[in-house]
Amino acid sequence: MKDFETLLAQSAQAHGHLCPGQVIGVKMAMEGCRLIGLDEPSTLPQIKKLIVYVEMDRCATDAISHVTGVKLGRRSLKFIDNGIMAATFVNLETGKAFRIVSKESSREDAMQFAPQISDKRLRQLEAYKRMTTDDLFSIQEVIVDVPACDMPGPTRFKAVCEQCGQVVRDKKEVYKNNQTLCKPCAFGSYYQPVKH
Amino acid sequence: MSTPEKNTPPPKTIPLKTIPVEQGVGTHLAHDMTQIIPGEFKGPAFKKGHKITSSDVCHLMRMGKNNLYVLDLKDGQIHEDDAVMALASALAGPGVTFSGSPSEGKLELKAAYPGLFKVDVDALTRFNLCQDVMCASIHNNVSVKLNQPLAATRAIPLVISEEDLNQAVSIAKSYYPIFKVKLFNPLKVRLIITGDEVYKGLVQDRFKDIVQEKITRLGASLEESVILPDNREMITLKINEYLNKETDLIITTGGMSVDPDDVTKAAIEDSGFEQVHYSAAVLPGAMFLLGYHKDITIMGLPACGLFHKTTIFDLILPRVMAGEKPDKTDLAKLSHGGLCLNCKPCRFPACPFGKS
Repeated sequence: MKDFETLLAQSAQAHGHLCPGQVIGVKMAMEGCRLIGLDEPSTLPQIKKLIVYVEMDRCATDAISHVTGVKLGRRSLKFIDNGIMAATFVNLETGKAFRIVSKESSREDAMQFAPQISDKRLRQLEAYKRMTTDDLFSIQEVIVDVPACDMPGPTRFKAVCEQCGQVVRDKKEVYKNNQTLCKPCAFGSYYQPVKH
Repeated sequence: MSTPEKNTPPPKTIPLKTIPVEQGVGTHLAHDMTQIIPGEFKGPAFKKGHKITSSDVCHLMRMGKNNLYVLDLKDGQIHEDDAVMALASALAGPGVTFSGSPSEGKLELKAAYPGLFKVDVDALTRFNLCQDVMCASIHNNVSVKLNQPLAATRAIPLVISEEDLNQAVSIAKSYYPIFKVKLFNPLKVRLIITGDEVYKGLVQDRFKDIVQEKITRLGASLEESVILPDNREMITLKINEYLNKETDLIITTGGMSVDPDDVTKAAIEDSGFEQVHYSAAVLPGAMFLLGYHKDITIMGLPACGLFHKTTIFDLILPRVMAGEKPDKTDLAKLSHGGLCLNCKPCRFPACPFGKS
């Protein structure tokens, strides 16, 4: 794995800007990979051993994805919409998994680490670089039982919605009122069709 | 004289090499190694594929292992972990999920969401008649929670023939889905509590709390409730009023017995339900009533619901919540397993009540 400064610069370029979230994300990813014993997660053979669950869709998520190489389309990046600055790193081969949560206190602690910088955002950015993982994160070893239908690899499961005919992959269908249905048909959708 | 050939399968050779554990350093385990520490731990101490290190040798010896299996699969032979993925995939229907990592050759099927667990019992039996596979499940028609274990499956030997595996998978697929979980609908419920004694305030009603707790636990909502005297016309009027509101389920309590004051059953019969099934082969709950008007269900709960923690209501409610319309035959089928043992404390649903 490349050094922190190189990863941060590359991640910021890929994300579009350098921000405190990028620093948090890069450090979180480096620590997560270290804890589960992966030093080159974005290349073969380790790329097939890693799944990361992120609990926010913020800047840090892109940094984690950049450092680890996990991607939504590879099914190695899982988005759990908890609104929590946290990510769980899972080594599929060994079963080792650690959940890393960004400490809210680090936002205030930034003052101690970079008191000379008056701009809050820049102060956090610089302080987060200087702070240790203990300063920044709460870390917990966890067990994540990744379901077969969430595993990377070719599509193994397909069903057909009995209401709209849509093919539903990866066991995301439900059985409601004696019919196999896609989630939009069962629960309603996030969109409304435009009536012309 | 020649002996007639018996129709028995040929003996299966397990493609394993046995090596002494002290020679195992650098080799890969052919299967999970289970360790049992009484009262503390039971599980795989080493997983299939683990590369043995010198420090593992002592650990394995402490577990009583003097020899190791090294796997040497031939064409047409499938390892138990690969086999169980195929079995679970064929068995698990909508709402049933399982781990991507088999443990000790076994996979547990779990509920992907809360709902009513359904088993095609005949198909499950056929599956279990196949050579070298097994699947055991909890009972049919049980209300299940998210991630609750529903069944477990495995290939019996460490290595199964591809032919045997394909046959079992084919049986499961032909009956797909053998297992499924039906979603509970968030039903709108209206409750009519009947009885002169509660109407006059001589007795404090307890039915409302009981019904509310049981329906909300499954995701229904109590929209409205009323206490009425044992007056046939008043009860019928109220049922008709509720039928004309946005209601999925009307529940009445009391008045289901044969006393002259018990008029609730008659009031329901006066209310225009296309189907009314009175009495069920369940104790407690023999004088239960179940009826339907279009998409609206009515349940008449006998007074036993006040005294027994678990009654027929607990057996029928999950099915109605899951969009089923149990009929007279379904009520009769409850007879086998329909006798509550009145255990103290009540262990329902982890008991024989309602299981058949």
